[in-house]
Parts: sequence; C-alpha cells; structure tokens
Amino acid sequence: MSLTPDMIAAFVDGELDDLTARRIEREAASDSALAAEIERHRALKARLAAHYAPVIEEPVPDRLRALLAGAAVVDTSMADRRAARRVRFAPLHWAALAASLVLGVSIGMQPWRPAAPIAADQHGVFAAGALAMTLDEQLAARQPSEGAVRVGLSFRDRAGRYCRSFESAVIDGIGCREGERWRLEAMRRGAVRGQFRQAGSGDMAEIASTMMVGDPLDANAERGARDAGWIVR
Amino acid sequence: MRFEDELVELLPRLRRFARGLARHASDADDLCQAAIERALKSRDQWQDGTRLDSWMYRITRNLWIDERRAAARRGVHAPIDEAVTQVAGDGAAEVEAGALRGDVDGAMARLPDEQREVVMLVLIEGYAYREAADILEVPIGTVTSRLARGRETLMHYLGEAA
Repeated sequence: MSLTPDMIAAFVDGELDDLTARRIEREAASDSALAAEIERHRALKARLAAHYAPVIEEPVPDRLRALLAGAAVVDTSMADRRAARRVRFAPLHWAALAASLVLGVSIGMQPWRPAAPIAADQHGVFAAGALAMTLDEQLAARQPSEGAVRVGLSFRDRAGRYCRSFESAVIDGIGCREGERWRLEAMRRGAVRGQFRQAGSGDMAEIASTMMVGDPLDANAERGARDAGWIVR
Repeated sequence: MRFEDELVELLPRLRRFARGLARHASDADDLCQAAIERALKSRDQWQDGTRLDSWMYRITRNLWIDERRAAARRGVHAPIDEAVTQVAGDGAAEVEAGALRGDVDGAMARLPDEQREVVMLVLIEGYAYREAADILEVPIGTVTSRLARGRETLMHYLGEAA
C-alpha cells in the first residue's frame, strides 16, 4: 500500500475507518520510514496541544463571566450528564472538557452559582455537581492547578468498587462508585485553604488505606478505569 | 442545561481557540467578549439540539475574520503580524532564530489566517474534519488541503523541536 501524506495525516487525526487504520498500523510496524513520519505528526500535535493547554487552566476573566452572570444553578441530574456523555468527543476534547468542567463549574469560582457538591436521597449520600464531575473525569496525575477539587488516591475497596479520595475547600472525602454515582463513604469539612496540601496526604489517605485492597491505582490504571467509566470488569 | 450555563462551560475552550487566532491574551479575550455578546444577542438563531460549541466557534471565528479584514483595509498591521513583518526588517535574524528554537507562537504567526484557523480547530481543539468544515463553512477538501499546508509550515519551523 502506498500512502499519501494526506492519508498519514488523516490516520494521525483519527479520520480513517478502523480497517484502514489497522492496516497502516501493521505497515508502520515493519516500515520505519512510515513509523517515523507518523511519529513526526504525533509530535507536532502533542507540541501544539501542550502549548495551548495552559489557557484552559487559567481562571476565566471576570469580565467574560460577568456577561453570563445570569447563569443559574447547574443541572446535575443524571439524565443530563448521561446526555452530555453521549456527545462524541475526540481525546483532546476530553481533556479540555474535564478541565472546563472543573474550572467552569467549580465551587467557589462562581459565587452566584450554588453548585452543591453532595446530594442525599433514600439510598444514601452521593457526590453531585462539580464534585461528581471531577470524580468522573479528573486524573490525579493531571490536575489543573486551579481546580477546586483535588483528587488524591484512586483504589479498589474490599467490595471491588473503585473509590477515590478528594479534597476541596468545602468538603474532603472518599467516594466509591456505585452504578453511575459516587457514594460518599467518608466526609469531613474541607480544611484546604489557599495552597492545596499534597495529594494523598492527611486523614483521607489514612482512611483510604484502611479501605483499600492492594495498592492505589497508578496513573495508567487510573486512566484505564476512568476511560471505562469506572465500571468494574 | 440553560444556554448561559452551557456558554460558561465552553469559555475555557473558547478562550484557547481565541488565543490561537489572536495570539495576545487581551486581544483573545476581547474576541471572546465580542463573541459572547453576539451569541447572547442572536441566541434565537441557535437551534436547540444542535451543537452550541460549533455555533460559538463559528461566531468567534467570523468576528475574528471580520476584524482582520477591517484592519487590513485600514492598512493597520494587527499585532498578530508583528513576527511576520519583522522577518523582513532588522529583527529578522532574531525572529528566525526564535522560530527555529521551536517557538510555537512564532510558527503559528507565519500561517495565513485560513490555515491557522484550521490548525486550531483540528489539531488543538480536536474537531473532526467534517466538523471543522461545518464551523468554517467550507468544503471538507478545503479543510484537508489547508491543514496539510499549515502542518508543513509548522513542521518546518518547529523542526526537530516538534
């Protein structure tokens, strides 16, 4: 198969059908020139993404938020979040979306918007709003510096559930995945002021260590679990 | 979710897109501000159920193009052209060196507007070719050819550093 530069670019951009993409992958395994060309394209994308990524993490200037100050309570119903999840996003988008959810909906950055981090019903107490979204999406290894909620440890508990410890200005705790929600197994008033403590420090880490089976998830395992929607296989 | 709420969530991404187009942070935020104002004014034109992000990107991009054209008519070089115009002047050596060190801003500034917007949408914002074509209201073949030229230029200037 002779590949045009456009096809290589389309491959790197995820624009080819699965069959063609797999064919190119196979070919690249034995064709070092092709592999190098693919790598060159990927490196450019990575370089550009890294260059512009910090903009996402900057606090949105007041003058822009003020224009939309009429923005009301966030609808955190599961139906809405499921609908949002169905929208197809490229990988870069996911990173951007996770960051924008954390920044755009974060507690304390939008004082007009009372986004409660917890919700209780007859089944128990669960993470809600920005907290739930953060537990859904944010990787401990790649947290925005301005994020209002900081994820500490991700681990499996004795019941086999994925659990994640977190800290924020309002509440610290540990959420364990049940269905599409995070049941809060431990909670206490957030002690974080200004600079966040190092992730995984403090009481929540201690409680987590008593709940945990095996070691905490490493960065790869955490990413894998998130990408699989925290569903236990 | 309400219109304003969705816009709030889009803001970080929209600011990134604007930064890539206008380069300077304050110009980019001016552009975002104009886009939000336009969106609020013409919210009736947004059809519920269609993607708000694409619509906002289109508004932002069109405002940017309008401004670039107006500036060109006035004979004003928008700040975005500084790096490029300097190349021909005394600062040429330094700008060249800066670009060769792998300065992404410098390399992006060398792209013509129509390539820069495609590069931003596809390579940074992660839109599919089809989606980028819809936002820019051009045929998909135009997107791929502009993207190819933009990539080539960027790779050339960013070189091994990319």
